[in-house]
Amino acid sequence: MSYLSTKDFLDDKDFVDRWQYTLRSGELDLSWMRAATKDAVCAPQNARRGLTFRDLDVPGYGYSTMPDLARENRSFAPRGAEIPPGCPDLQAEVNRKSEVWAYNIESYYEEAMSRQWNATTDVPWADLAAAELPDDIARAYSQLLTFLTEVEMIATDVPAKWLGRLNADFFEVKNFMATQVMDEARHAEVFRKRALTTGYGLMRASPANEVNLKFLRDADSFSESSTTLHLQAEGMVLTLFRFSEYISPTDGDKKLFRLVMQDEARHVGYGMQHLKWILDHFPEKREIIHKHLDEAENFVFGGAYAVEVMEPFIILSGKGMKKENIEQGCRITAQFQVKQVEEYFERLEKCGLPERKDRSQLYKALELGHANLEAMGLRTH
Amino acid sequence: MAVPFPSEAFFQALAAAMAQAHDRFRALGFFDATIGIGVLPDAADGDARLFVLAFEVFECTRAQEVASLAPSDVDVILEGKLGAWREMFENIRANGAADVAHSINTLTHFGETLTLRYDDPDGHDKLYRFAESVQQFFDLAATLDGVTYEAAPRRTAPAA
Repeated sequence: MSYLSTKDFLDDKDFVDRWQYTLRSGELDLSWMRAATKDAVCAPQNARRGLTFRDLDVPGYGYSTMPDLARENRSFAPRGAEIPPGCPDLQAEVNRKSEVWAYNIESYYEEAMSRQWNATTDVPWADLAAAELPDDIARAYSQLLTFLTEVEMIATDVPAKWLGRLNADFFEVKNFMATQVMDEARHAEVFRKRALTTGYGLMRASPANEVNLKFLRDADSFSESSTTLHLQAEGMVLTLFRFSEYISPTDGDKKLFRLVMQDEARHVGYGMQHLKWILDHFPEKREIIHKHLDEAENFVFGGAYAVEVMEPFIILSGKGMKKENIEQGCRITAQFQVKQVEEYFERLEKCGLPERKDRSQLYKALELGHANLEAMGLRTH
Repeated sequence: MAVPFPSEAFFQALAAAMAQAHDRFRALGFFDATIGIGVLPDAADGDARLFVLAFEVFECTRAQEVASLAPSDVDVILEGKLGAWREMFENIRANGAADVAHSINTLTHFGETLTLRYDDPDGHDKLYRFAESVQQFFDLAATLDGVTYEAAPRRTAPAA
């Protein structure tokens, strides 16, 4: 117990007397009815969509006119409420809107809320339990699912870590982060459940990926954390989910990956709109983000190309372990890896970071990936 | 009554089927995206047929043939030869939904069967943000009375 009240309320005679007097006399104070706040009239602009955060963007309460620096509110007071003396200073670590905000953040939240799904009931588990997979495919799939469970556990922890550190005025961002925590927890759930229904259970954890995940978790600032979590890591995982849908052995697995990719793509969308916002409103961050990506890209290369991650892809995409399967799997996996990195740089460029290619070690790895494709007789662009 | 593919009538029939399945799409959540469809001729000398599908909240609000279609007009364009589209819809109608080899993501993943064209990666990612809604929309082809693949008359079409 590190935080103590400055008084014992039951020992405070004035407080106890006031409580009892109010209930016994019916004489009310009512000073709160004169709160210095604005009246508000909000209604859905699109009845089919319901009442959205965008409908609440009105004077006194909205996000459009809030200042970049949240100097006044240090407490849990909801944005727009009167903040009387005595509200505690929560010592939020992030008090600058441009450090957290994203274009259209309110619509990402509404989309997240309306597109929630249930890992227990929305996946055809009975069909999946009945599907028999060949031994090598099932083992490779279980290894992939083990890796994905690991990834999603850290993806749950990172936004959860930042939630309480953001100023309460950044309500829409905090709520979006809360949906992401739920999304990632559901992903960890669904991958664990699928691993335990293959008949093989979980396989081996990935040290190379865990050091990458630790780096993600320990970022120094929210914007560095978001750029690597939402844009780099989740962007690459989104490509991976699409690839996993592509190589999925059953209809039920296809559906599972379509459901998780929806959430992942939404997080990537936030990441893109956030990076655009930072570069537009907090340009001093550009170099800090580059420095962070320098190391993040080193970690991600070591993690994504580790044998316990890459080999299951080769076996799954080649549909087995015979020589011809492995050869085919290598060709498909090489294409996937190039696609994954190309899409990452495509997103960075669109966000306003086109110079990333010039200083990125990962971009050099992409050139090696193109050389791999060329050696295999596959497309290089 | 059977509807011809490719035609505006075909996509309007899917839009109507989506409205009929309102509860199912409402359960999937908001679906806000504009998707272009390009049906290329199997032979080199034929004409492409182009369509725009606009989705808003839980509905398809526009299913229209257009005379021209650029990636900047829409979030993403799904494009492929008539034969590829026909195989996909025949598979959907035979199975009630796309099988493992015929989901939109699988057909487009490496651009072997259907190709994706886009200007903005954010628009491209919408295909995945709404993946299950997109798939279930195309799966509605299984509910149509019939589909024919003879060339349907082109509607005088506006630009996208």
